[in-house]
Amino acid sequence: MAWLVLCATPLWLAAQPVPEGPIQFTRAEFTQAANTDPLSHPPATADWQETDLPDSWRTQGRNRSQIGWYRLRLSLPAPPAEPLAIYIPRITNNVAVYVNGALLGKSGDIAQREISWNVAQYFKVSPGLLKAGPNLLEIRLHPDGYARAGLSRVFVGRENEIAGQYQWRLFLQSTAPQFITALLGVMAAFSLAIWAGRRREIMFVFFGLMCVVAMIRLAHFYVRDSEIPLYYLTDASLCWMSALTASFMLHFAGRPLPTFERFLYGYAALATLALWFTPDSLSHYVVTGVFSLMALISFAMIWFVGRALLATPSFANRVMCAGLVLNVGLGIHDFLNFQELLGFDHLYFLPLGLPLVLFAVAALIVKRFVDTLANYETLHFELERRAEERERELTLSYEALRDLDQQRATAEERQRLMRDMHDGIGSHLMSTLALSRMATLSQHDMQEVLADCIDELKITIDSLEPVESDLLVVLGNLRYRLEPRLNAAGIELEWAVNDLPPLAYLDPENTRSILRIVQEAFTNTLKHAQARRITLSTGVDYNNARVWVRLTDDGRGLSPGQPSGRGVENMKSRAEKLNGLVEMVPLKGGGTCVNLYLPLAKLV
Amino acid sequence: MARVLIVEDDSAFRLRYAQMLSDDADFEVIASVGTGGEGIAMLDLRKPDVLLVDLGLPDVSGIDVIRHANQTLPKCECMVVTVFGDEEHVLASIEAGATGYLLKDASPENFLAGIRELISGGSPISPIIARRLLKRFQAETGAVAAENAGSKADDIALSQREKEILHLASKGFNYPEMGKLMGISPHTVTSHVKKIYRKLAVHSRGEAVFEANRMGLIRTL
Repeated sequence: MAWLVLCATPLWLAAQPVPEGPIQFTRAEFTQAANTDPLSHPPATADWQETDLPDSWRTQGRNRSQIGWYRLRLSLPAPPAEPLAIYIPRITNNVAVYVNGALLGKSGDIAQREISWNVAQYFKVSPGLLKAGPNLLEIRLHPDGYARAGLSRVFVGRENEIAGQYQWRLFLQSTAPQFITALLGVMAAFSLAIWAGRRREIMFVFFGLMCVVAMIRLAHFYVRDSEIPLYYLTDASLCWMSALTASFMLHFAGRPLPTFERFLYGYAALATLALWFTPDSLSHYVVTGVFSLMALISFAMIWFVGRALLATPSFANRVMCAGLVLNVGLGIHDFLNFQELLGFDHLYFLPLGLPLVLFAVAALIVKRFVDTLANYETLHFELERRAEERERELTLSYEALRDLDQQRATAEERQRLMRDMHDGIGSHLMSTLALSRMATLSQHDMQEVLADCIDELKITIDSLEPVESDLLVVLGNLRYRLEPRLNAAGIELEWAVNDLPPLAYLDPENTRSILRIVQEAFTNTLKHAQARRITLSTGVDYNNARVWVRLTDDGRGLSPGQPSGRGVENMKSRAEKLNGLVEMVPLKGGGTCVNLYLPLAKLV
Repeated sequence: MARVLIVEDDSAFRLRYAQMLSDDADFEVIASVGTGGEGIAMLDLRKPDVLLVDLGLPDVSGIDVIRHANQTLPKCECMVVTVFGDEEHVLASIEAGATGYLLKDASPENFLAGIRELISGGSPISPIIARRLLKRFQAETGAVAAENAGSKADDIALSQREKEILHLASKGFNYPEMGKLMGISPHTVTSHVKKIYRKLAVHSRGEAVFEANRMGLIRTL
């Protein structure tokens, strides 16, 4: 392989064997020069000193207002047949790379407000630039004035070997946070939408805002314009995130701690103000201070929130608690990394770990939501079942009631019929029997009494027929019954009825009462009036809310001491029970008029 | 002279009817029996013009005797003799094919007049029965008529005049009054009532067929 003969060695490592694969530079020559742009090389008199890579300027106490130059030597047995590439995991803040004096490329330009602190670098080296023997690789480092400045290890290798490493690093440092930001946006929208529909579930607000703040924090890892205001918020956002996380988890556990939460928000607000107004030159120290305090507060958070969560050690609460601890752990790791205690080119974990935690939390929220729905459905089903049961019970009790009602109605009807039989036909027959035993009853009288009995019976039967509130049917049927007897007595009956409105109270008992009243009036006329003609008329008197039934005869009229006194009294008392009235008026030319008034609506 | 068959289990009444009829030259009692079975046998044997039947017979119901007469002797006038002339008994008889009814306690004049009226083509009606018939035709003719073929429906449905007669009858007017109100003779009124009774019988058979059809007992009408 061509790579086998490629021998790249910094000159102070010339004795080392040629490694397989990409070369990793862990040492370089370094010098500093005044910042005299554009891209001037250091003077020949410059003082080159050996240094380790990664090289942290802060640790080394270098002057951050000057430009730094790194020199790496690459010895090749022959010019490479394939294109090579240079890969630098981390720089702070911008580099320009030269090969044998020719500029390969730049990471960005501080003057253009481009920052590259978290952007892995990759430069292709065309084969023509490298020659057999010693080659010089120069890296010009332009610090941005912040405390942090430096250069990570540098890798040189064939493109197909080195590109994968570069892309993986680029993904972890820049691309992944962008994806995660998009996902957080969706989660925030979803969570806030839930809250919009369910205002009482305040935890969704906390979670939604937590996602929003996390998005701001993540911008720190891929936004390259250092001047946008958002960039100033990215550090403070970490404090807000802690406060919101605490609030969310406490509400998730159902045990809010208002005082502690207020303290966290107060701290976040204070940190935001402090960071906003701090000049760039001091920002590193203020950020360090803010984060140090935040780290301490995080332990308090674990204590309070963890205790609240584990008070009910459900699976969800334990996962939530683990997430909190992990988050704090990642935060402290990143803080240490920020302090360059873990190596200059070490990765930041929070951007990668935080979403894991948030997704777990989202899953728990969804689970709780689904569980709630399932509960609700179960409850709903249960309610429906109970309602059905209740309905069944009601139906049964209703049926029982109806049966009871029916039984009562039947019993009442039977009582009524018994009363009728007893007071009417029964006593009639009894007295007839008694009279006939005493042999004081003529055959004619006997026939009359029996005919009366049968009439009585017919009235009872007719009153049981359904007449549907129609008084005319009732009266008509009475006529139908009586007419043969009237005709036999030589009395003509004139039927002059007018239509009547339905009378809702015409049940068998009331019907019977009316029939008796009218029948009594007929009987009186038949027996005492010696009439030739009877007229029955009906009509409605809406002014007095009553109907009237009028019976006029052309007989000899009423006279004092009429023998039918008891019959008339019966008629009157029956009419009164119906809230009605019976009047008997003598007519001028002889004859009598009997008026029966009945209410239109049911008597109370 | 009308040949009359009497089916009545009460011997006193049987005698009374026979007496009343034989006193009148217009009637001849061809048989007077006490059970439904005998009545049906006499119907087949003697083919009377008029059947007087009591509903409460000891063996079969008077309704069955009427139905038999109606089916085998279409020209025979069937008359029910009831105690009260109550709706339930009368309607059941009419449905079976009776066209008249008499009250057991009717005077001889009324009794004979009723039979004469029936023979000459008229039927009696009480207000309660009139009202009941109106209701039944209103409620059921539609449904039954829809099931039957068109011409059949006409046979069953009431004419306007018949409806009017039922309306007036239900208000208690008698035949002469109705005739006066409608401008027709009392006899025409009473023959309309008879037609109504015939329709009710057809109607009832229609209902039976309709029911049978529905239950799949009869394939074609």
